[in-house]
Amino acid sequence: MTSAPVRLPAPVLQAGEAPVTPAPATPRGRRAPGMRRRASIAGLVFLLPALLCFGWFAWWPIGQSVVLAFQQTNLVEPAEWVGWRNFEQLFADPLLPTAVLNTLWFTVLSLLIGLPLPLFVAVLMSELRRGGTLARVLAYLPVVIPPVVSVLLWKVFFAPGENGVVNAALGLVGLGPFPWLQSPELAMPSLVIVATWSGAGTAILIYLAALAGVSTELYEAAELDGASVWRRIWHVTLPQLRGVILVLLLLQVIGALQVFTEPYVMTDGGPANATVTVLLMIYRYAFLFGNYGVATALSVLLAIALVIVSAVYLRLTRSWSTS
Amino acid sequence: MRTRIRPIIGAAAALAIAAGLAGCATPAAEDDGVVVITVMGMPAATNTAALELFQQQVAEFEKANPDIRVVGSDVPWDAKTFAARLAGGSAPTLLRVPLTEPPSLIERGQVADIADEASALESFDELNPRIMEFLERDDAVYGLPEKSYAFGLVYNRDLFEQAGLDPDAPPTTWDEVREYAKQISDTTGKTGFGEISTNNSGGWHLTGYTYSRGGAIIEPGSDGRYVAAFDDAPTRDALEWWKEARWTDDSLGDDVLGKQEDMVAAFAAGNVGMWVSAPPDLYAQFLVAGGDPDIYGAGAMPQDGADATLAGATVLMVNAKAGDAEREAAVKWMEYRALRPNYDPEVAAQYAEVSAEDGLPVGVPALPIFTEERYQMIQDAIAEWVNVPVEQFDPYVASLDTFDYVPEPLVASQEIYAALDPVVQAVLTDPDADIEALLADAEARVNTILEQAQG
Repeated sequence: MTSAPVRLPAPVLQAGEAPVTPAPATPRGRRAPGMRRRASIAGLVFLLPALLCFGWFAWWPIGQSVVLAFQQTNLVEPAEWVGWRNFEQLFADPLLPTAVLNTLWFTVLSLLIGLPLPLFVAVLMSELRRGGTLARVLAYLPVVIPPVVSVLLWKVFFAPGENGVVNAALGLVGLGPFPWLQSPELAMPSLVIVATWSGAGTAILIYLAALAGVSTELYEAAELDGASVWRRIWHVTLPQLRGVILVLLLLQVIGALQVFTEPYVMTDGGPANATVTVLLMIYRYAFLFGNYGVATALSVLLAIALVIVSAVYLRLTRSWSTS
Repeated sequence: MRTRIRPIIGAAAALAIAAGLAGCATPAAEDDGVVVITVMGMPAATNTAALELFQQQVAEFEKANPDIRVVGSDVPWDAKTFAARLAGGSAPTLLRVPLTEPPSLIERGQVADIADEASALESFDELNPRIMEFLERDDAVYGLPEKSYAFGLVYNRDLFEQAGLDPDAPPTTWDEVREYAKQISDTTGKTGFGEISTNNSGGWHLTGYTYSRGGAIIEPGSDGRYVAAFDDAPTRDALEWWKEARWTDDSLGDDVLGKQEDMVAAFAAGNVGMWVSAPPDLYAQFLVAGGDPDIYGAGAMPQDGADATLAGATVLMVNAKAGDAEREAAVKWMEYRALRPNYDPEVAAQYAEVSAEDGLPVGVPALPIFTEERYQMIQDAIAEWVNVPVEQFDPYVASLDTFDYVPEPLVASQEIYAALDPVVQAVLTDPDADIEALLADAEARVNTILEQAQG
C-alpha cells in the first residue's frame, strides 16, 4: 500500500503566497482568447467582495502594523518615525528572552501532552462498538465552553492547599497537596493541562473523521495476517492518519506559540515571570504601557517567526505527508 | 436585464457610502451651537436611585446651561480600550480614572490642560493641595478630584475576636501585624494577613509598604531625572517581612497570586484576617461581595520608621482631543456633579438621601478633597442618612491627620509596578528567593523603564 487514502488539501498556503494554479483540465486552445478574458474578469468581479473584505479588515491592518513597528504614537498626535528604536527597546528588555523561552517551553509541553492524547482517545473511541456518539459529545464538550470560563474554572480547581479540587482528588490517592499555579515550576505545566483539556475535543473529532476514512479492508487484511490490536494501530491506523497528524501538529505549534488566554487569566505571567509569554508581553506593551510601537514590533517579529516555522515545517514534511 | 440592474446597484452603493459616512460623523457640535459632551461616571442601570439622581442632575444642568448637552456613559475606565477609543474618536470627553492613571496619561499627552477653566471655579482654591499636587505639573492643571483615599489596614473584627485580639485596637506597626497575623492563622486556621501580587497589585503594595518604612520607589537625580531608589533598606525590609510571614509563620495563606477582586471576595467571605487596601473605597465593594458590615474594621496603615502612607483618588480629566467649548463644558459639569456634593451642604444632603434609599453606603469616612472645615460641614449635613458603622473606621480616620501622603511614582507608574510584581511573587512563592539579587535586577529594569519614559 503506497498511496494514502487520507490526503491533505495540501500544500497549505502561507499568507501572501499565491495559490498554485491547477493545470488546465482541457487542452489549450479549445476556448477563444476573448472568452477566457471575459471569464477571468467575471471571476474577478465575483472575487471583489471577498478581496475588499480581506483587504480592508486583514491585509490593510497587517500592512499598517508593519508601518507602526517603526513609529511611535500616542494615538492623539500624528505618529512619529523612529526607525529601529522600537526594536532596540524591545531587545533591551530583559524580559524578552524569558518570554521567548517560556513560550517555547509551553509549546514543547503542549506537544508532549497535547499531541498524543487526542490521537490515543480518538483511536480508543473508534474502537467503541456502542456509545460512540455520547463519547464524541463528551469529548467535544470542553470546546463548547467559552475559553475564559473554562480557564477561570480551572483556576478554582487548581486552588492551592488541601481544599483545592485537584489537590483534594490527588489527596485520595495520597498525593500532594501541590501549589500548582503558585509555584514557578508547576505553573506552566498547569497551564498546559488546561490548554490540552480545552483544545483536545477538536483534535479528537478531526482524528475520528480521518479514522472513518481508513479502509476497513486494510484492517481485515491485517487481521487475516494475525496482527494484534497494537500492530494494527501501528502499521495501519497511524500511517493512514499521517497527513492529518502532520497538519494538526503544525496547527498546534502555531497555536501554542501564540498562547495568551491561559497565562493572562490564570497567572498574569506569574509567579516571578514563570508564565510570561510573547503574546502577554505584546499585550502589556500595548494596553498596559501604551507603547504601541514596541508592541507592534514584537508582533511583527512573532509573525515572521511563525511564517518561518510553517515554511520550514511544510518543506520538511512535504514528502512524508504525501508518500 | 443587466442595464436595468446596474443603476440600482450604483444607487444602493452610493446610499450605503453616504449612510456610512453619516454614521462616522461624531456629534461633537450640533448645528445650533449646542456643545455635546460625553461623560463617564453615569451609574449603571441596575443602580436605579443613583441613576435617577444622575439623570435629574443632567436635566437641571442642561436647563442652567442651555448650550450644553450631556451624554452619560456607564462604561467604567478601562486602560485597555481607552487608547483605541481615543484613536477612533469615540473616547468620552470627560474621563473618570483612578489616580494611578494621570502620570502616564499626562506623559502621553492624552489629557488636556484645564488650568484656565478650573482656576475660575469658586471651589478651586479650597481643593486639598495634597491631592492637587498629583494633578498639577508646573502651571498646568490636568484634572479635578472626585474622591480620595489613603492606604490603611482592613481587618475582620470577627476573626480578631475569635483569635483573642481586641477588634477596637488594630495593630499599628509591621511587627504587630506579623504577630497578629500568626495568632489569627494559628487559632482560626484562616489567612492571617492576605496578600495580592498580580495585575500590578504586587508592585502597588510593595510601593505602599516601602513608603510606610520611610523609603521611596523612584527619586529625582541631580539632573532632575527620576531614577530607581528602592534597592535600599525599606523595600528590603518589606520583602523580608513577607518572607518571614509566608515561610516562617505560615500566616499568609496558600493563595498569594490573586488581585484586588479576589482578595475582596476572600475577605468578604470571612477567610482573611487583615490586608492592606483603601478602606473607604473598599467598603462598597465589600458590601457588593456580600460582606457583613459588622465585621468590617479599618485601621491605620502599619508603620515602621515613617509616618507615611500611599494616597490615591478618583479623578476627572478631559480628553486631549476635546475642543475649547467641550473642555469648558466638561469642567462645568465636573464642578456641578463632583465638586458641589463635597462643597455645597444642600447638594450633599440630596445625594445622601437618594443613596440611603437605594441601600448604598452613606457617610464612609474619606480623605477630604476640600479643606477639613468644608469636610466637617458636609458630614453634618448628611448626618441624618449615615448608614455606615462609622466608629469601625475610627482608627483609620485618626491616622489620616498624622500621616504624610506619598503619591505613587510620578513617571511610568504602571510599568514600574509591572516590573515589581515578579519580585513580590518570587518572595511569596519561593522560600529560597534571593532578595538582594531580585532587588538589584528590578532596579536595573526600572532604570531602563525610566530612561525610556523620560526620553
